[in-house]
Amino acid sequence: MGVDSLSMSEARHPAAETSSARPSSAAHSYNVRICHWINLVSCVYLLWSGVHIFLDFPELYWGHTGYRGYPAAFRLADWGLSWEEAGALGDRRWGRNYHFTAAWVFLINGLVYVVWNLYSSHFRNRMWPARDERTVAHVRAELRDHLRWRSSRHANGSYGTLQKTSYLILIFVFVPLMILTGIAQSPGFTAAMPALLDMFGGRQTARTLHTIGTVVLVLFVVVHVLEVAAAGFFVKVRSMITGK
Amino acid sequence: MPTRISRRRWLTTSVPALGGLLLTGCSRETFVPPRVRGGLIGAADVLTMSTNRLLLSGQQLAREYSRSDVADPFPTWNQTNPRNAEYQRHASEGFRNWRLPISGLVQRPRDLSLDEIRRLPPRTQITAHICEQGWSAIGEWTGAPLQRLIEEAGGVTPAARYVVIDTFDGWYEGYDLFEVAHAQTILAYGLNGRDLPRGNGAPLRLRVERQCGYKNLKFLKSIRVVDSMADIGRGTGGINSDFGFHWFAGV
Repeated sequence: MGVDSLSMSEARHPAAETSSARPSSAAHSYNVRICHWINLVSCVYLLWSGVHIFLDFPELYWGHTGYRGYPAAFRLADWGLSWEEAGALGDRRWGRNYHFTAAWVFLINGLVYVVWNLYSSHFRNRMWPARDERTVAHVRAELRDHLRWRSSRHANGSYGTLQKTSYLILIFVFVPLMILTGIAQSPGFTAAMPALLDMFGGRQTARTLHTIGTVVLVLFVVVHVLEVAAAGFFVKVRSMITGK
Repeated sequence: MPTRISRRRWLTTSVPALGGLLLTGCSRETFVPPRVRGGLIGAADVLTMSTNRLLLSGQQLAREYSRSDVADPFPTWNQTNPRNAEYQRHASEGFRNWRLPISGLVQRPRDLSLDEIRRLPPRTQITAHICEQGWSAIGEWTGAPLQRLIEEAGGVTPAARYVVIDTFDGWYEGYDLFEVAHAQTILAYGLNGRDLPRGNGAPLRLRVERQCGYKNLKFLKSIRVVDSMADIGRGTGGINSDFGFHWFAGV
């Protein structure tokens, strides 16, 4: 195993990525490429509009109740930006209009992506870790490569186990939780589905978790971009655009 | 092969069911704002409203909480004391001479005093006020169902589409008949077991529990029933949408 992982990490050197002899199975499908970039645009809008909405009421609470003067879990004022300063930066009218528009684009795009790739077996063939990838030794070798700042791409252009696992958790656990904590704040959706309130323990808890989730998502994107950079930024971005 | 058949069966049963839902007493106003904005934002408005209305087609009640969840004193926000001279006169008289006109497309236009509204069968509900800014607080609201008030004026005529509420602080807002018919859509004169305080909208405020705070107008002045929102304000359906907020504030 030791010898095997050594030879694999040699093959994973960024220089190897420029090889044009990579099998065509490594190419991103039309669906993955189109959904990726629509997703990027909708997420940028979701983040930026979400920040605007938050700045207009820069406090977070736990439970069903939370208003100015109620014991807060987080106050932006404690971190150096007063209520008035935050309010001057935020714009909830702009924010709400764009947040819910981008949310629909994000949702529809995400559903197209998931349904299409379940149908085309993309998830099973390229994102579900193979048996030999589900071993402790394999994951340990991958982690070691990551810490040494080497690309996690395998020689044949497929995703690494850590990459596969994080994508699957993101798509099937994290994103649904973001959608649910989002609509758990809505008076209309919670009237139709009161279980949303019980699921998270209250509207304000949902809002707080939605905000924490946003921070985690931003960190995910930072790591994602760093990984792309480590694997050769230009080549990877070109491949997500042209599929080659 | 079996999946194909079940998929087809799913389509052949669900599509007519959806169509049936759309036809049962619900009209365009139930699913689409009075004026649809352009572009993606307008498409998203329609998606949000029609999704909410489909999910709420059973007129389910918003969550009602227990008395121990109530915020007392209830927080105040925005306008807490309209400077309008007429309002100040009514307030100084304890709203004894205040009357609520119900006009427009009703069978028998009339006005009601606060005492007459209090004598209607009351409804008390402990619900969350959800501000679109992000805060929420739970209050015990007591009032008369809006639908009942309109019945006091003989009910609406067949051409009626929206109920417009005007307030003493200059707000105006339209509500479609689906929202008006909801059991929790009340005109509240009581909060947490006492008369509605001035800061929370005395003498009377609207409660629409499935929409955000800005649709829950305070300091009520009059009620009109109309067939179109086109001639009211800038014609988008209310003061909030005139300023660019969502007309349907279910999210």
